[in-house]
This record gives sequence, structure tokens and C-alpha cells, in this order.
Amino acid sequence: MNQLETFLSWSTLTVEIVLCGFVFVRGLQKILPFFAIYTSTLLMSTISVWLIYAHYGFNSDVSYYAYWISVLINAVARSLAIVELCQYGLRAYQGIWGLALRVLAGLSLLLLAHAAIDAWGQPNALGIYGMTLDRDLAFSSMAILAILFVIRHYYGIALEPVQRALAAGICFVCAVDVIANTIFHNILANYLISFFQMSQKAFWPALQPQLQRVDDVWSTIHLFSFMFTMGIWCYALRKPIPASADAPVLLPAEVYGRMSPAVNLRLSAFNDRLVELLK
Amino acid sequence: MNEVSMVIVMVGALSGVLVWLLVPGNKSSASPDAGSFGDGDHSLPRARHYQYFPQIRQALSAADARYLNEHASPDAARKALRERRKVAQRFLQGLHEDFSSLARLGRVIAALSPEISRKQETERLILTLKFQVLYSLVQLRLYTGSVPLDQIAGLTGLVGRLAIRMDEAMAQVSALSMGPLGQNSRA
Repeated sequence: MNQLETFLSWSTLTVEIVLCGFVFVRGLQKILPFFAIYTSTLLMSTISVWLIYAHYGFNSDVSYYAYWISVLINAVARSLAIVELCQYGLRAYQGIWGLALRVLAGLSLLLLAHAAIDAWGQPNALGIYGMTLDRDLAFSSMAILAILFVIRHYYGIALEPVQRALAAGICFVCAVDVIANTIFHNILANYLISFFQMSQKAFWPALQPQLQRVDDVWSTIHLFSFMFTMGIWCYALRKPIPASADAPVLLPAEVYGRMSPAVNLRLSAFNDRLVELLK
Repeated sequence: MNEVSMVIVMVGALSGVLVWLLVPGNKSSASPDAGSFGDGDHSLPRARHYQYFPQIRQALSAADARYLNEHASPDAARKALRERRKVAQRFLQGLHEDFSSLARLGRVIAALSPEISRKQETERLILTLKFQVLYSLVQLRLYTGSVPLDQIAGLTGLVGRLAIRMDEAMAQVSALSMGPLGQNSRA
């Protein structure tokens, strides 16, 4: 690690500790337990990877595997936090939740299948495999959050400010991860892949500094964006979390059955008249 | 377009959507439940333009235009025609508001229902998108002067009937729910 990376790593660890402190002091684990687990996982994996670096050395195979496994564990924890954000406040609106669940579950299955197929086709190296999965999971997270917010916006069911800030942070880190991982993946899997073959072994020592430089750039971007995201979360949690809104009182089921077709019929009449105007 | 550019464009588009939806001040995100279903009486969908429809119908009528052509100077008639177009444009905007209110009523009912139909929701979404396209086209044609004003006047009858139905519908919803909309609006 270079000096900048060491500084950023220490800063990340500090911000992670502060974030965990905020999460548990504000009692977020009672409202969003999976998000609390996600922040704890981040802290635990950072400490674990550091201990492994210290014991086995930064450039050892064990460190390499430990790092990529921690990335995938964090991605899974983040996905669970997103699922939790999806259902937060929306579950009380049973009809909309049923509809949203079908849309989001379908989309998630599609994106996860794409992520698995995409990762399956990669060269057999945990780094590229993990990077592809991480990138596709990050992209899926963004797409799912976007659809969720479109549904919420359409039905006028807004997210509370704290949850909105948490979602914004996740979106930001996912966006940076997708772009950085795609560029890095492109360099490794397209431009440099031929150099990793045994026939090119003679060039490996010369290639090492180039790879190291790419890795340094990627780590710096990742750590910066991650710190910024945690800054957003800490800022959102700086004040006590307001009490959640009461669950809505739902209408009798027959109201929808009677009124919704009538509303649609009227809307359709508007369109028919406009069509007549255009003839 | 290579993979990197494609991913950057897709991520940029997704980020744009997310920023638009997440930034406070956006109508939906600014006011949680109260904004969703109402802020007192102002939130309940109602056709507010209805009270002016008889005057608009009169202003856009062919008889009115004939009277102007026969009795006013050419300058005054031209000026009056311009004003009539402005009135028609404002009326179209009112129509848009009334359509939005009705669509919103549909969404409020859906949000407060324990079960909703995918078919009905999809249909309303398509109708709303279709209205946006048609509305833009009519506005464009009105701007270019290729829509006869008496045709626009014909729409007033539709909106008038709609206003009555909407008021009846809101009264029914309020009575059935014994005020869940009101409770939400107080939240």
C-alpha cells in the first residue's frame, strides 16, 4: 500500500467506527436491522482484512482471497439492507406492496441471473470473478432502488429523510463501484488477459508495476467514494431519528373494485376527446 | 459503443433518475404521508376549473366568433382571437390539472386498498402516459393555430360532468373510509 492508500484505509476504519457508533446510539438496529448488520459487517471485514494483511503480508495469496471474499460478503450484506429499504414503510400499503414485491422480485431474479451468468463466463480467477459479481450486484442494487423509488413516487408514498439518505449513499457507492469495476475489469479481462497466459511468463515481472498502478487507482477511487458515502450516512444520523409515521387506515376492499374501473373509464374519455381534437 | 461507455451511460441515467427521486423538494419526497394523500382539503382531488366552464364555453363558441367578425373592427377581432387562443391554452392547462387530479384519486384509492389489480394499475399508467403525449400534441397544434377553438369548447362538457362525478366519488370514499384520507392528511 502506498501512503495515500494507508491514510485512506485508516480514515475509512475511523469513519466506519463512527458510523457504527451513530447506528447503535440512534437505535437504527430497531428500525433497520439489516442496515445495522451491513455497517457492522463493513467494520468487521475491514478489521479482519487488516489483521490478515498484517499477518500474511499485503501481497500474499491469503490476503488476496481474504479481500475478495470480504468484498462479496459486503455485497451480500448490502443487498439485504436494500431489501429491507424496499419494504420499509411500503408494507403497510398492502395492495401496493403486493404489486411492488412482484415487480421487484422479478427484476431481482433477472439481474441476479445476469450477474451469475456474467461471472460464470469470466476467466478462472477470484479477482475477476469477484469484481464481475460485485459490479453486477451494484448495478442490480441501483436498478432495484430506482424502480422502488419510481413506484413510491408514482403512488406518493415518500421515504422518510433518514432512509432516503441511506438509500442515496448506497446508490452513490454502487454507481462509483459499477463504473470503476467496469473500467478495471475491461483493462484486466480484455487488454491484459493475454499477458496472464503461461506463454507470456517472461513479461510478468515487467507487468507487475503496471498492474500495481491500476490497482492503486482503483483502491483510491473505491475508498474515497466509500468514505463519502459513510459521510452521508453519518450526517443523516447526526440527529435522533424521528418516530415512524403511523400505519395508514386502509379502505374496504370493495372501494377499489368499484372505483378504480370508473376512474380509468373517465381517464379514457379524456384521451378519446383529445384524439378527436387531433383528427 | 464499447462496454465501458455503455455502462457509464446506463449508470449516469440511473443516477439521474435516482437523484431526481431522492432530492428533497421533489413533490413526492418532500412531504411523506401528508403529501401523499393530502394536506388538508387542498390535497383531495377536485376539478377546480369547473366553475369557469360556462364562461369558457361562451368565450370559445362559434357564435361569439361570428358576432366579433360582424360587429368589431378587424384589429379588434384579431386581438380577440388571440385572447381566445390564450383562454383555450389556459383551459387546456386546467384540463391537464383535472386529469392529474383524477389520476391521483385513482392512485390514492389504490394505495389505500388492501388488494389491487395489476390490470387496472397498468391500464391507468398507460392512460396517463397516453394523455401526456396527446396533451403535448394538442398544445402544439393550438400553438400553431390548427385546432378550431369550438372543438376545444366541446371538451368543457366532458370536464364539467367529470367534476361532478369526482366530487361524488370523493364523498363516497370519505364516507366509506370514515376519514382515512383525513387521518393521513393529519399525519
